[in-house]
Amino acid sequence: MDEKRMPDGIVLTEAQKRSRRQRSIAIALALGVLVVLFFAVTIVKGPVVLLRPM
Amino acid sequence: MSVVDHNAIELPRISEAEVGDYLALLKPRVMSLVIFTALVGLVIAPGHVHPILAFTSILCIAVGAGASGALNMAYEGDIDALMSRTANRPIPRGRITREEATAFGLILAFFSVMTLGILVNWLAGALLAFTIFFYVVIYTMALKRWTAQNIVIGGAAGALPPVVAWAAATGSLSMEPVLLFLIIFFWTPPHFWALALFRSDDYARAGIPMLPVVAGPDATRLQILLYTIVLVAIAVAPWPLGYFDAIYGITSLVLGAGMMALAINVYRRREGSTALRATRRLFAFSIFYLFALFATLLLEVVVRAVMAAIG
Repeated sequence: MDEKRMPDGIVLTEAQKRSRRQRSIAIALALGVLVVLFFAVTIVKGPVVLLRPM
Repeated sequence: MSVVDHNAIELPRISEAEVGDYLALLKPRVMSLVIFTALVGLVIAPGHVHPILAFTSILCIAVGAGASGALNMAYEGDIDALMSRTANRPIPRGRITREEATAFGLILAFFSVMTLGILVNWLAGALLAFTIFFYVVIYTMALKRWTAQNIVIGGAAGALPPVVAWAAATGSLSMEPVLLFLIIFFWTPPHFWALALFRSDDYARAGIPMLPVVAGPDATRLQILLYTIVLVAIAVAPWPLGYFDAIYGITSLVLGAGMMALAINVYRRREGSTALRATRRLFAFSIFYLFALFATLLLEVVVRAVMAAIG
């Protein structure tokens, strides 16, 4: 019985790991900018931000 | 004995795309022109806009334009591979799949529209959504592979950013942003047909019915000349109509004379390297023409502010 040992799951290459990390950091930064933007505009608009007429 | 043949299992594709590949999907050069024209729309709008809201508006318009670019590339992955101008884009190079580009574009489109609507106003948000829809669905999916008028009608999408910016600044629309829209709208055909004249082999290979491919170079030269006449007239009109000041009017006349001279040159020189040089010069000058026209509008605002500060 020739049972070749297979790795558990998919093993990423170094290049794949590096690009994934780079993409993850970019997504984190983009989300961070979005949070800061919403916070800043809330401060700028003040209480008016609560008025949302349809 | 294993009952699973591991060699028969198709492993999922693991992306090696880097951030730069995703940035390339946003068409940074187109985006820079969008940012600039939107900035002009925002600055010339009456009233005061808080810098944070101004920044938010420009950011959302830029990201919305990038989303349009990504969705355009996702749809055109097949023809991009056939043209030398676009063969190096991330999808033809195999860096990003069309599905990944579609998901990326849709997410950016959603966030840009919603952020602009929630943080600035919903008129601007709705106009941005319409711009993305027009570019992706009307231009890319419907017109581009179907009619030689593709860039004439599709040019509306590229002309909308200053209108969106004006709406972001004022919450309404008026004649000035419509004039900016018309200038970019009538600038688009001479600009892209000049490009198509010296890239017609590329477009023919990809099966895109650009005017030089469908109607021939001579008919395209005539159309370029006619659209340039309309463009120059429309670009000057806001001055006598009283919408923009004399600095803009005189600059527009001078730049318009340059555009006309180059368009006439393209019309007259039809053979050999002189014809090629004429179209390349018109293409390059058309970029400068639009940039200079809009920069003059910015300059007018600055001059007006300085004059008001002085006395």
